[in-house]
Amino acid sequence: MSSVFTEITLNHYLALSGIIFMIGLAGVMLRRDLMVIYMCLELMLNAASLALISFSRFNVNRFGPDAAAEGQLMVLFIIAIAVAKAAVGLALIVALYRNRQTRNVNDLAEMRF
Amino acid sequence: MEPALLLIILFAPLIAALALAMSLPCRPLAVGSGLVQLTLTMVLMFQLPVSPSAVIDGGYSFVTSFPVSTLPSFFTIHFTVGLDGINAPLLLLTSLVGLAAVGVVPQGMRRVREFHVMLLLIIFGATGAFISLDLFLLYIFYGVGLIPAFLMIGIWGSRDHKLAATQMLLYLTLGGLVLLAGLLAFYFSIPLELRSLDLREIQQVLALSAISNQSTIFILLLVGFGTLVSLVPFHSWAPPGYASAPAPVAMLYAGVLNKLGIYGLIRLGSSYLPDGIEQWSVLLQVVLLTHLLYIGWVTIAQRQLDLMIGYASVMQIGYLWLGFLSLSTIGGAGMMLLMIGHGLSTALLFAVTSEIRDRVGTMKFADLGGLARKAPRLSMFFIVGALASIGLPGLANFAGEILIFFGAWGNYPVTTGLCLLGLMISAVFMLRAVQHVCYGEVSEAVEKTGDLAAGSARWPYVLMMSGLVVFGFFPGLIIEMAKPVWSLMIAGATG
Amino acid sequence: MNWIILFTPLFAAVLIALLVHPHPRLSAALSISACLISFLSSAMLVFDLGALPLGSFTWINLSGQNLIIEMGAMNDPLAQLMLLVVTGVGLCIHFFAYADMKGDPGLSRFFAKLSLLMFSMLGIVLANNFIMLFICWGLLSASCYFLIGFWFQHANAVEASKQALVVHRVGDVGFLLGVLGVWWVFRSVDFTVLETMLAGAQVAPARQNLINWMVFALFMGCLAKSAMIPLHVWLTGATEAPTPASALVCAATVLVAGVYMLCRIFFILELAPDVMEIIARVAMVSALLAALMASQQNDIKKILACSALSQVGSMVAAVGIGSVTAAMFHLTMHAFFNALLFLSAGSVIRALHQERNIWNMGGLRAKMPVTSWAFFIGTAALIGVPFVFSGFWSQQAVLVAAWTDHPGVFWIGLMTSGLTAYYMTRLLLVAFLGKERSDVVAGAGESSLLMQLPLMLLALFSVIGGWKWIGVVHFIDPDFVPNHEAGVVVMGLSFVVLVIGTGGALALYRDVEQDPVSIPLFARSFYVEELYAATIVRGQNAWAKTLEWFDQWVIGAVLVRGLSSLGTVGGELLRLIQGGNLQAYVFLLVLGVLFVCYWVLFRAHGGV
Repeated sequence: MSSVFTEITLNHYLALSGIIFMIGLAGVMLRRDLMVIYMCLELMLNAASLALISFSRFNVNRFGPDAAAEGQLMVLFIIAIAVAKAAVGLALIVALYRNRQTRNVNDLAEMRF
Repeated sequence: MEPALLLIILFAPLIAALALAMSLPCRPLAVGSGLVQLTLTMVLMFQLPVSPSAVIDGGYSFVTSFPVSTLPSFFTIHFTVGLDGINAPLLLLTSLVGLAAVGVVPQGMRRVREFHVMLLLIIFGATGAFISLDLFLLYIFYGVGLIPAFLMIGIWGSRDHKLAATQMLLYLTLGGLVLLAGLLAFYFSIPLELRSLDLREIQQVLALSAISNQSTIFILLLVGFGTLVSLVPFHSWAPPGYASAPAPVAMLYAGVLNKLGIYGLIRLGSSYLPDGIEQWSVLLQVVLLTHLLYIGWVTIAQRQLDLMIGYASVMQIGYLWLGFLSLSTIGGAGMMLLMIGHGLSTALLFAVTSEIRDRVGTMKFADLGGLARKAPRLSMFFIVGALASIGLPGLANFAGEILIFFGAWGNYPVTTGLCLLGLMISAVFMLRAVQHVCYGEVSEAVEKTGDLAAGSARWPYVLMMSGLVVFGFFPGLIIEMAKPVWSLMIAGATG
Repeated sequence: MNWIILFTPLFAAVLIALLVHPHPRLSAALSISACLISFLSSAMLVFDLGALPLGSFTWINLSGQNLIIEMGAMNDPLAQLMLLVVTGVGLCIHFFAYADMKGDPGLSRFFAKLSLLMFSMLGIVLANNFIMLFICWGLLSASCYFLIGFWFQHANAVEASKQALVVHRVGDVGFLLGVLGVWWVFRSVDFTVLETMLAGAQVAPARQNLINWMVFALFMGCLAKSAMIPLHVWLTGATEAPTPASALVCAATVLVAGVYMLCRIFFILELAPDVMEIIARVAMVSALLAALMASQQNDIKKILACSALSQVGSMVAAVGIGSVTAAMFHLTMHAFFNALLFLSAGSVIRALHQERNIWNMGGLRAKMPVTSWAFFIGTAALIGVPFVFSGFWSQQAVLVAAWTDHPGVFWIGLMTSGLTAYYMTRLLLVAFLGKERSDVVAGAGESSLLMQLPLMLLALFSVIGGWKWIGVVHFIDPDFVPNHEAGVVVMGLSFVVLVIGTGGALALYRDVEQDPVSIPLFARSFYVEELYAATIVRGQNAWAKTLEWFDQWVIGAVLVRGLSSLGTVGGELLRLIQGGNLQAYVFLLVLGVLFVCYWVLFRAHGGV
């Protein structure tokens, strides 16, 4: 068996993170439902978090244990901010839906000059 | 002791503005801060050393300096203020015109408190710009002076004031960007480990080695500062801007703040960029002559008093450029005098013009006339201002102009000779204005006009007029201050 | 002492302008006493009666740059004589002015301006350097401007005053160029220093051209002030001033300032003999043309103004041919009789309620005997009735000086004297003798004693001023030797032209109802004013309009608005991208990110 399957390296994590990010991006770009777009945004954010934490985990060898702590700290921040963002974002979506009775982004095309 | 006085001079208008914002009485406080500025400025001017030594503080006196931001590996900004023989006369001009400007604020206007606050901020900006010895600080203070002026023209202006204000802001911001590029280029052409924004340190550094790339830096600074002084062809903002501004703003801007452009060029150009000036001297001469003659003729064709005064004030800046070009102590001393003379006479003319507008309600020459009958005092001030600005001997402008001619004659006899033509042109348009406004039959619009009230309404005019007379009769007051600094500067630049 | 002479009038002017102006009589008293003080202290100075030593004050001190301007006072015979003339004649005019202007609402203003004029003129007289001279030169223009425009309600007066100041400005610019040249060549502006430096100096041939131009530029100042052709246009307008002011301007101040200035800088003129020749010719031709102009004017003040110009022309010509003594001698005499003529005319004009046309006068001798006699004496002095009157001696001095070396100047001068006799006789015949020509004359009466006194005083000096025992000539030049040989010939010739001129006028103008001669060319001052109006004024206005249009539309609209509309158009184009579709924005964002990634990874450092 090659080590690709036996040993999980940084590359695996990064590949996973990339895949999740691309799924998120595709969702944001292609789906029409605001709720789904929002969830895809969360996906992208979490993919980034994953990349960060795996970097920090795998860089311990290079920069010492502090690196891991720093990476985790940053991810914790991101999660906290994501929560706050979720609160605001969902509230906005709900308010929008109440006003417009639609979640389709094609109907929400006021953002232009 | 003296450095503290300089700080008081700087912050008096700001403190007054803050106090005003907390609903204290406007006029007494504003006038009070002006008086404090003027008195202390005069005290400091008499304390200024007669022969400053370039070794201590680069020749500056009363220096206060402390760091404001210390971003590593980036530039360090200091709050540094100080005086020498070049900015002291300009500080005096600022406090004189500032006091007069506060004095002529019409008391019946709407939102008079906000007006005073912004006016004091302009004075604060102008004072700060002239006395700061840090290039970054100078730039900031210039902005402090510019923004309220824009707002005031937009809010309290007359004629097409919104357009004028926008145009002025755009011009000056764009000019400011070019200026910033020039300042950065200047900064980065100083050897790496010696880089500084502090004029004192720059002086010491550049005493040892000349600056490179002078020609590029100079042209950037020329365009940047030139926009501020409304040099042709960057002048379009100035006449309508001045004409539509409320009187105090026009006085401060046309009289004081635009001198900052010349001042900056003296500080950086005359001292450190002699080769740059040399290289561009033909262009400078052409621009200068175009400026004087072209604007002069355009002024002749004006049909409205306020625009005409605006153009006239722009035109007479041309002589300052001649002085700058002369790169000589005589021309330099003349520039200092002419800056004061031009500042005071322009401010006087704008004050009177705006008073006429408020009283008569029209600015068209065709509708004015006979003011000397109805308002003899106002007319007298107008005539004095007009005659001063065309260089009547005995007033400050004359002493300045003649010294500039003496200074420039040696290097540029032909240009100087052609500049003398400007004297004739300005006589034509100023006398025409006097003829149309003050003399002749009393026109319908002027019929109901009253004169300036006695006492409190009159002192700002008297203040400016006496400034013109004092420096006209005793130009030595300014020359003695400016002479040593200019001699050092010219010696440093040429030797 | 000199500073009292100089500054008392200024002090009076400032005091009147600032404080005293609500009280006309007090203002007048202040101005007159200022003039009196100046006169007395000049007399003390000149006759050495305990005058204080001269002071000086450094106006501008740029010692490292060869520019030290030390304001001081000259105290040579030239300045002393001129001081006495200016203050003495000025005093008579001040007194007369009070009587003449009494009741005018602007009396205080008038006296303030009169005092300012005195100050400027005395400054010119005393000036010891070019800068002080130039300062007072400019102030003189300004006070002349104020006085001509005194009745500012009248459009004519205002127009004339503006014209005068603009013309003076032209001269000022020339003069300033000359001053700059002097400083550049000799590195000093002080008269005493320059005179010592230039005593017996020879001009290097290479520099002669430069010096010539410099001297000519200096002469420009005189050209404007002394109203030489072609800058004489302001003079006829100057008659719009109140008569006493015209008298002061023409007799003792502005007009003769040019002559005095040339005498003062004679040591520089001598360096350029060619230019002096030009000066003499221009001046003499001016004198002739002015006399021709005078022969066709109908306004009594204009006639006198032209005559003053004609006399001043001969003074300048005298300087041009190298005789400062003759010029100053004639200047002094002219100050007396010209002031006398102007003041008598003022007396007449006042009696006739501002009537100035001589064809509406006539028969004044019976109505106003004292004034008429004063006018006769003035005329006799002006046309140079031999042996008795002052003008005779001074004109002889000028003509004799021209006799030997400058025949052209001499003959033109002689013609001018003939013409002078002609037009003055015309004036006398029409305005003073004969019968009354209009109703205003019927109601006229003799002026008050206060007006008569200055007339009498001036008349006295117009008679005796030229006599030898008064000693004006020897005061200027103690070594002056009269040329008796030429004197006899010149005397004979000028007697002949005097008779011809007077006779011609008698023949033409006795008992006529209207002017038998009509030469519009002379009456309209050779159309020079019209020429200027048509060319320079109109041309400049058209040019100014064109440039204004250019400024408004090419710079203001095309360039400035054009640049700003570039911004607008760019914005409009970019707006197309902003469709409002959220996902299109995201798509663009991703493209941007991809581009940045591409750039950073593959381009920025030349590939990975």
